Order: sequence, then C-alpha cells, then structure tokens
Amino acid sequence: MDSAFVISQSDKRPIYLQIMEQIKRRIAVGDWPEGHALPSIRQLAVDLQISVITVKRAYLELEREGVIVTQQGRGSRVAPDPDLGLRIHEEELQKHLEHAARLSALLGLKPRELASRLREASDTIAEKETS
Amino acid sequence: MSRSLVRHLILKDFQMHRTSIVFSIVAGVTGLAILQLKGLPGLLGIIGFFTTLIVLGSMIPNTSILNERKGRNLAFLMSLPISMAEYTTAKVLAALGMFMIPWLVLVGTALSLILGRSDIPHGIIPVTLILVTAPVVGFCVMIAVALVAETEAWVMTATIAVNVAYSFCWVLIVSNAELRGGLGSPTPIWNPTALTVLGSEFAAIAVILAITFYLQSRKKDFV
Amino acid sequence: MTDLAIKLESVTKRYRYFTLDNIDLDVPAGEIMGLIGPNGAGKSTTIRILLGLVHQDSGNVRVLGHRMPAEQIEAKWNIGFASEDMRLYDAMTLGWHMNFMRSLYPKWDEKYAQLLLKRFCLNAEQKIKGLSHGQRVKSMLLLVLARCPRLLVLDEPTTGLDPVARHEILKELTAVMNDEGRSILFSSHNTQDVEQISDRITFIDRGRIIDSMDKETYLDRWRRLRLEVPAGIELHALPGIIDIRQDGRLAVATSNDFVPDLANAYENTGARVQSIENMTLEEIFVANVERSREEVEA
Repeated sequence: MDSAFVISQSDKRPIYLQIMEQIKRRIAVGDWPEGHALPSIRQLAVDLQISVITVKRAYLELEREGVIVTQQGRGSRVAPDPDLGLRIHEEELQKHLEHAARLSALLGLKPRELASRLREASDTIAEKETS
Repeated sequence: MSRSLVRHLILKDFQMHRTSIVFSIVAGVTGLAILQLKGLPGLLGIIGFFTTLIVLGSMIPNTSILNERKGRNLAFLMSLPISMAEYTTAKVLAALGMFMIPWLVLVGTALSLILGRSDIPHGIIPVTLILVTAPVVGFCVMIAVALVAETEAWVMTATIAVNVAYSFCWVLIVSNAELRGGLGSPTPIWNPTALTVLGSEFAAIAVILAITFYLQSRKKDFV
Repeated sequence: MTDLAIKLESVTKRYRYFTLDNIDLDVPAGEIMGLIGPNGAGKSTTIRILLGLVHQDSGNVRVLGHRMPAEQIEAKWNIGFASEDMRLYDAMTLGWHMNFMRSLYPKWDEKYAQLLLKRFCLNAEQKIKGLSHGQRVKSMLLLVLARCPRLLVLDEPTTGLDPVARHEILKELTAVMNDEGRSILFSSHNTQDVEQISDRITFIDRGRIIDSMDKETYLDRWRRLRLEVPAGIELHALPGIIDIRQDGRLAVATSNDFVPDLANAYENTGARVQSIENMTLEEIFVANVERSREEVEA
C-alpha cells in the first residue's frame, strides 16, 4: 500500500491524534467517501511502522466521535454522515477560536479587541483570495 | 532434533579449525621423518613430534573453547536450542576429535615406522604408547579447565602444570626398571607395570571427562 | 498460559553488586513490549533470564508456555535472540552463518533472507570481521528474522545504527506483527523507537520494575503543565505531581497521573495554566529516573 500517511516527528502531538487528523482530512476532502473501508488496524500499523495499540486507539476515538463505524469482524468504515466534512471543519474552527481566546486573555486583550483583530484577519484572507 | 544440533556444532568446530588440524599433521609427520636421522637431528625429530602434540593440545582449548567465550560467540551459541549438557558434549567431542585425528595419524605413522624397520626393537612399543597417551590425558585436563574455569588465567596455569607433569612423567617412566627392561626386546613385552600405567592413563581420561560434565551441569549461568 | 508469550513472576537474581528484585512481567502474544531503563538497570539480566541463559534464584519464568530454564531447549526453537554484546564468528562469512541457520531451523525462509540481504545492503560473501558495527547488527537481525520465530527477544536492536538502518529495522519488526501469533520484546535506549512501535512499555531501574502498562495509557498519564503564578506565591506539588519547578512567576509542573481536574486544582490556587503539554517518552524516562533517584537519596 503506497501510503500517504506520514507521521511527523516534529509534531508534538501524540501519534494517535495525528492519525485521526489525517483520516479526518481524507474524509473532509472527499478521498474517503462514506462507507469507504478503512485499512485494518494491523495493516495500518505495519504500513506506518507504529504499534497496533496506537492505531487501535485512533480508531476507537474516531468511532467515539462518530466519524467511523466498526463492525465486529468486518473492520471499520467511514460513517454515513453527509455533513461529516463540515462537522470536522466545525471542530477545527472551534478549537482555533478557543485557542485564540486563551492567547488574547494572556495578552490582556478585551473581547472587543479580539473581535476587531479577527475581523482584520478575515479581511486580509479575503483580499488574498481575490487577488 | 537436538542430536543433529550437537552434530552441527561439532562439524562447525572442525570446519573452523581444519587448518590447524592439517598443519599439525604435517608438522608431526615431518618430525617423524626427521627423527629417523641419526644423532641430533633424530633427537630433534622426537622432540618435534611430541611438541606438536603438546602444542596442539594447548591450542585447541584456547581457540575452540576460550575464544568463543571471550569473543562473545557463546551468547550466540547458547541462543540456539541447546542445553548446557549438549554444549559441553559438543565442545568435548569436537575438541577430542580435533586432537585425536592428528594424534591417530601421527601415532599410526610412528607405529608403522617402528614395525616396518628391522633395526628398531619392537620392545619400545609399550613405552611409546604410554608416552604418546600422556598428551591425551593432558589434553583432557586442558579441555576440562577451559570449559569449567572459563578464564585464561586458569588455562595458563593448567598449561604450565600439565607441561611440568609431562617432564615428570617422562623421567618416571624412563627410569622405571620394569619398563626399561623391555625396551631392547624384539617383541613388545606387556608386563603388569606397563599395563597398569597405560590403564591408569585411560582411567584418568574417563574420570576427567566425567568430572567435567558433572561440574558443567551444576552451573547456573551460561554467559 | 498460552495467551502470554512471556510471564515472569516474582523473579529474583542476586549478584555481588546488583540484585534483580521481584520482577513481574507479562507480555501477551501478538504484542510488542518495549523495555526501557538506564544502563545497569537490569534489562540485560532480565532478558538473559527469560532465555534460560541465566538461572533465576527464585520466581517463575514461562516463555511461550515453557518453564525456564528447565524447558529452554524447546523454548529456544521458537525464540530468536539478538543482543548487542553477542558476536557472530569473525572468521566466517555472513553466508556461512545463513547456511548454518538454514540447516538447523525448519522455519527458515530463504526468500525472505535474500530479500533482507538486499534491504539491509549486506553481502553474504563478506567475513564478519570486515563488517562495520551497523552491518553486524543488521546481520544478526537478518539471521534472527529469517527464521520467523514466534518470539523475538532483542537487546538494543537499533543502537548505533544510522537513521536509514533504524528505519529499515523498525519496518521489519513491525511487519512481524502481521502475524497475530508472534511477539517481540526489545530493550532500547532509543526512546523514540520504543515510543513508536511498542504496544506496551516496561520501565526498569536499579533492578526493579517502576512501570509496566500499555503505551497509550502510559503516555496519557504524563503531562507537563506550564503555569503562571501570582507574584509572591510559591506553588506546591499537588497529588499527581511528581516535580514542580518555579522561577519567579513561572512554574513547570510534571504529572505522572494526569486528570483534567489537576489543571482546575491549580487554577483554584490562583495560578493560571498557560499550557498542558504531552511529554515524549524520553522526557518521561528522565523524569522517572530522576524521581526514583531522589526517593532513594531521601
């Protein structure tokens, strides 16, 4: 299997989180449509040269989040949920917003200041996209 | 299954040391050829002959047993499916084989020389046999020490002790009246003294090897 | 019993200057167990005991269902052992060793052996004494892998190898896991390798097992908290914190039993939690050993 799954060593997050993210990305961009069969836990572990238990955990968490469904003896598949791509991006946005809120609190910014900074950033992105 | 493994290990030792075996045969035969010359060269031949046996005897325990331990090959060996008893068996049999093959060739050649020539009294045969069996006893002591004591220091001590013992035995044997008496006779005389001495040499070999196996079996750590 | 590839129960071994003290260790079949610990901790002794090379003074050892050292011959047919301080015969070639193994072991896979020769960039005609350290290690691993043993016991399999060689070894080791019946126990100073491929981790120090559990759970328990402390206040170590260092208003707390409530507990003392970081196995290693040393000195 020519795997484009790559575990980054410089990424400080646990490996299972990286796997989860890469699976979610494939789902979000549509490479793995709903119903697509995920590689078996063992197969993915061997291909990525990581422990079986790490892949197990990634699959477990994904199932808990409703991203995949696992059937006993039949492996895992991408969950039937047309809004999955959206939902994944929603989660990411929420995470980033919370992080921004935490950072601005550290800097001592008031919510109003944070909001105007956000608007600035949004405008900058919009400019880049149109140019 | 395990017996074939012991066989494999013995063959491995033979294969790894075949140069020494061949070399010692050549050296010994050369010694035998030389000793037929009269006078000093003849004496050198005798010395050369016995020295070959003795050197071979002290080399084998070192190269075949000690070096394996020093060179950390022992861990590799013991990771194979063998027990301590089988390891000991393989080492003892291989070492004996590597020594006895040249020994048999040399002793056989020497005996045929004696029997073939009319100017050498066959009465020297008993004493000759006694003298050439001595290195075998000494060799067994060396294997025992190498296997059981495991260190160079002990093996060196044993080498020195055994070599001193050889000289001692030579003196005793050659000065023994009964043994000397038969030397000049045209036929070999197997008097009780000769038989006793030869018999005790064989007994010593058996006892030494038995003690070796026993002590090895009591070891708790292989490496 | 047969579900466990390895079971050590209350194993003790006394040497003059070192004691392996009451070791309990379970390795379920089909798993990779990583054994980590400082030098002299007892990793090699433990490994030798489970191979029957060293007899324990007390305790039970079962490997692949066989009692050790009594049944070591049967066990060793199915165990592949490679150790850093083990040497092949210098005067012989790698090919000779391969032939030796092939004639001995019925499960020898010649095709796989040839494949490994290529992958590891080894030459069968070369004598062992001419090989570099890395090539020797790879040679030993080749001999052990091509036998397809049910249990692999490896002492420092990637130590001293260049990054490419390490990557290749890890690839072959994880490939073993394709077969659910096969297991691996390896000890390593390369915490990154242990973190990457182990299903379980056992931590040993000074002859004692400090931790032994599945890797994800273990990594999950450890966190580093970066805290901002109000002026003049000195933070204390709350339960679950094994180390806390404060420099002025900034503090770093290390936890080996993290739960989210711990962060809240600190917030309640007035400190602000700037970040909660995961720790690499290497950082955990150092923190663990430092703590256990402090406990001994105290």
